[in-house]
Amino acid sequence: MSTSSYLTISIILFSIGTIGFVVRRNAIVVFMCVELMLNAVNLAFVAFARHHGSLEGEAAVFFVMVVAAAEAAVGLAIIIAVFRNHRSIETSDADHLRL
Amino acid sequence: MESMGSHREIVDASLAIIPLCPLVGAMVAYIVGQKQKDLAGWIATAASTLAFLFVVKNFFALGTNQVLLDKSFVWLSVGNFSIDFAFQFDHLTAVMCLVVTGIGSLIHLYSVGYMAHDESRPRFFAYLNLFLFSMLLLVLGANLLVLFVGWEGVGLCSYLLIGFWHKNIAFAGAGRKAFVVNRIGDAAFLLAMFLIIMNYGSLDFMALSRVMPGETSEGLATLISVLLFIGATGKSAQIPLFVWLPDAMAGPTPVSALIHAATMVTAGVYLMARLNFLFEMAPLAMLVVCMVAGLTALVAATIALVQNDIKKVLAYSTVSQLGFMFLAAGAGAYWVAIFHLVTHAFFKACLFLGSGSVIHACHHEQDMRHMGGLQRVMPFTAATYWISTLAIAGIFPFAGYFSKHHILSALEHAGAHNPQLFPWGVPLSYIATFAAILTAFYVTRSAAMTFLGSYRGHAHPHESPWQMVVPLVVLAGLALVGGVFLEGALSLQHYLGHAIPVGDVHHGESMASFSFLLNALLHSWPGFLGVGLALFLYTQAKEIPGKIARAFGPFTQVLANKYYVDELYGAIIVRPLEGMARFLWKGADQAVIDGSVNGTAAVVEISGELIRTTSTGQLRHYGFFMFVGTLFIIFFYMAL
Amino acid sequence: MNIFFILLSAIALSSALGVILMRNPIHSALCLIVNLVAIAGYFALLNAHFLALVQIIVYAGAIMVLVVFVLMLLNSKLEEQKSAGLFMLVVSSVFAVMFIVHMSKIYGAEFSTSGVASASLQGTVANLGRVLFTQYVFSFEASAVLLMAAIVGAAMLAKTTPERPRGDGERV
Repeated sequence: MSTSSYLTISIILFSIGTIGFVVRRNAIVVFMCVELMLNAVNLAFVAFARHHGSLEGEAAVFFVMVVAAAEAAVGLAIIIAVFRNHRSIETSDADHLRL
Repeated sequence: MESMGSHREIVDASLAIIPLCPLVGAMVAYIVGQKQKDLAGWIATAASTLAFLFVVKNFFALGTNQVLLDKSFVWLSVGNFSIDFAFQFDHLTAVMCLVVTGIGSLIHLYSVGYMAHDESRPRFFAYLNLFLFSMLLLVLGANLLVLFVGWEGVGLCSYLLIGFWHKNIAFAGAGRKAFVVNRIGDAAFLLAMFLIIMNYGSLDFMALSRVMPGETSEGLATLISVLLFIGATGKSAQIPLFVWLPDAMAGPTPVSALIHAATMVTAGVYLMARLNFLFEMAPLAMLVVCMVAGLTALVAATIALVQNDIKKVLAYSTVSQLGFMFLAAGAGAYWVAIFHLVTHAFFKACLFLGSGSVIHACHHEQDMRHMGGLQRVMPFTAATYWISTLAIAGIFPFAGYFSKHHILSALEHAGAHNPQLFPWGVPLSYIATFAAILTAFYVTRSAAMTFLGSYRGHAHPHESPWQMVVPLVVLAGLALVGGVFLEGALSLQHYLGHAIPVGDVHHGESMASFSFLLNALLHSWPGFLGVGLALFLYTQAKEIPGKIARAFGPFTQVLANKYYVDELYGAIIVRPLEGMARFLWKGADQAVIDGSVNGTAAVVEISGELIRTTSTGQLRHYGFFMFVGTLFIIFFYMAL
Repeated sequence: MNIFFILLSAIALSSALGVILMRNPIHSALCLIVNLVAIAGYFALLNAHFLALVQIIVYAGAIMVLVVFVLMLLNSKLEEQKSAGLFMLVVSSVFAVMFIVHMSKIYGAEFSTSGVASASLQGTVANLGRVLFTQYVFSFEASAVLLMAAIVGAAMLAKTTPERPRGDGERV
């Protein structure tokens, strides 16, 4: 398969993740949409790595996964903390910084 | 001209303590006064008296042909030009300092009684001490800049004290008027200082007296002298800048006595005496001084004839007497000017304090038509007022006689001294004599209306407390014997001769001889004439003044309205300035400057309001904008 | 190969749509797991064997278990009551379509081949490990510190402070 096929899939997945991020209100679903976007980018990385015959793209994916894991830990902890204070994990309810 | 600074012995001394006394006194009096209001007056009086004692000490320390100098510190130093914050104490300063601190102390004591019931008396006494500090800077300064600091300081204190009862809009306005009119003179003073710095590179009196006579063209000397004299007309209330002084009577009466009669207004005379070497080089400027002074003496005396406010009479009298002093200074007889300054300080302070005592007794009634017959209830005030009246009238042997006599003879001989004055000396002496008759007349009129006849008011007048009576008695004593003392015992002419040129010192005949006494009494004729006429008109033939006033209807009207000078200034200066200020306010400031500032704010506010709507606080909106922004960047990048 | 690719694409795209369209967050999470597995499949197709395994173990395994666990903890029955915002959906879809069309046009022209393929560059454990422990050793160690910090931070954020008064209705 040509690299462009993988890239196209990656772009579509990324766009779907973006739409989900914009449309959904549940903080955990929003978080999952971010994971979706990260994975779309990972896919593009691996596709490029194979296209250029280099392992650097795959190393980048490894680090993205590490950061995603850290993000998941901290992000979910923040969601729990927000839920404790607001009794809600709706992102539209957490607008206290607005003037 | 002989330069006086060259052969004098300079002695180091600590003079800074003299002005520091009232400065510290002002602060302590104000701070302590916050808790103990009655204490403030006594502290201020003590500080003033202490300064007086230091002056006396230096007075006795000052030897013949000496000048005490205190270089406190270098004030500014720019390249070759440097100015010390230095004080100088010579015989001229000694006389001035004695008058300032001596009369100042008496007036402080008087104020303790006069202001006993005022809520803000700590502030009053702080201002009063601050004034004393500034005045001492003025007379002690060893260079023009220190003098100028004092000059501005007394102007500021004068403003603060005229507007002391600032809740009264008219009084505050009077203070502002004094300040603004003084500013006009000060601007000329500054210009003169700049010219001196430009041409001589120094402001030090002694240095200038050495340098100036050799290398000054007459034109430059005339320019500087005239500018300085304009400064002096502002401070010393001469035509055309005299309009502030009568209004300055809005201040408490002790202030009028101290600042607007005895000390501050004489600063211009002191300036001329101090810079005599400069004025000597400018005979034309001297002529201008004489003309302005003669006109002022006459005009102010005529206005004083018809005033009914007791303080206004004395205010115009002060303007007129200052004219006498400038006449003497303009004729080159500086020591006579200082002589009259001192005697005037005695009797005018006494008159003002006496009027204050009367006003105090009559519950702040100032109109003489509502007084009368107070002789019976206020014997001390009446007696001292009468003594001062005779003194200002110039009747032998009261203090005023000697100084006035010297002024007249100086004018008669002015032509010999200054060729520019040659044709004018004698006419000026006639004008001065006429003004002296008027002086005797109007002061006697005020005394007669106040103390003789029967009481026409509604208050219950009473004699003032001892704090007010003691200064009156002391000052009346000085007005009585001060002239004899200064002429005979101290010989002011000889004494001042150590510091300023005084012409030939003639020891003349003994004052005890019969011919001298006869001569003196004969030369008192203007005083006798004025006093006698006034006594006759205001006690015996009371209907005549009214008839005279009606007969000269329009002229009386002009006098009562003070020659319409205020109205004239209002029409040609104040009104156009107000119009311009209004245009700058409405047109330039509010429309353009405020408009642009407010416009900027409005633009920011409107754009802020617009952008604010995008800040919803919603995470998804921010994410969406981020996505769109990224998209634009990509499109833009690819399009390149 | 093509059949695998088409099959994986169908699974990945439909499960991705499932993530954003399911009303129940649990269903979204399950769809995401499917999607992650499909991407692991892509990795395998692209010869990134190690990443494919890590994707399943770490992502689909560990992270998603954590997500589902939090969902259960915070009342998984919590349905979204309000409408998802039709306006935002339409506008973002329009922009997304623009993005997809534009990017695939560029990539279609530039990356139409499958690129170089050599055995030494396959993403096996040995090959990737060599790269990570030589060229990226510093980043590798830094990522270890990052994970440590994340664990401590998460514990810090999530723990309840016992000394806080329980009477406060807003706080639990």
